Amino acid sequence: MNLAHANNHVFRAISDPTRRAILDRLRAGPANAGALASDFVASRPAISKHLRVLREARLIVVTRVGRERIYTVDPLPLQSVAGWLEGYRAFWQSSLGQLKRRLEGK
Amino acid sequence: MSSTGKNRARAVADIVEGEIVATIDIAAPPERVFQALVSREIVDWWVNPGTFDTREWSGDVRVGGRWRATGIGRGKPYALEGEFLEIDPPRKLVHTWQGVGAPGAPSTVTYALEPIDGGTRVTLRHAGIASPEMRGGTGVGWQTSFDRLAEILAADRG
Repeated sequence: MNLAHANNHVFRAISDPTRRAILDRLRAGPANAGALASDFVASRPAISKHLRVLREARLIVVTRVGRERIYTVDPLPLQSVAGWLEGYRAFWQSSLGQLKRRLEGK
Repeated sequence: MSSTGKNRARAVADIVEGEIVATIDIAAPPERVFQALVSREIVDWWVNPGTFDTREWSGDVRVGGRWRATGIGRGKPYALEGEFLEIDPPRKLVHTWQGVGAPGAPSTVTYALEPIDGGTRVTLRHAGIASPEMRGGTGVGWQTSFDRLAEILAADRG
């Protein structure tokens, strides 16, 4: 899968508010599908579908623990699609620091 | 200033909106900070030693006027330009931003200056930064239709 293709998967995955909420939830810690379904007042099949999309975009990984499937967030694909912004982010973080040092005479 | 807790710049990328939001507190009055945003003083602070160095800046500081900056970044020359959209000293400044000759619509830089105890809080928003997908013409329409994915990459890596 090339980078642009992978990025399209990621963008599609995060285009849905429920999936973004699931990612936010998983950033707080791993969970199984049942816990996610109760957190989001959604049916198990609906949550399973969202989890499949997130898994295909490689935004989450699944670990089997006994009979349970535990979902964990993987931030790496998001960092990849954010790469085009990183130069700008670094530019402003650095420049505003310079502005402060200059105006405060340090 | 010690009570404000923003002694270092904090810049965050929002990949859904395609924008950067950054804040910093500076122990100088808003009028002084504003002056540094709209003058050749920019060559002193659009600088990251060893990475990029802005050498020249000129601007026609009025609404509709243009600015241009040139410098060296990672060993290569760069040129940036834009148009002043809003000039409201010492509170707000909005200008466009584009690499000279770069395709696509320019992005927009907005500075908001707010007086705080002992200085100025600067909030910067650099919005409308085109993604590689949009530049490549295969845009998937994500950039305007989504809700904010707040700070999913919020790590302050500076």
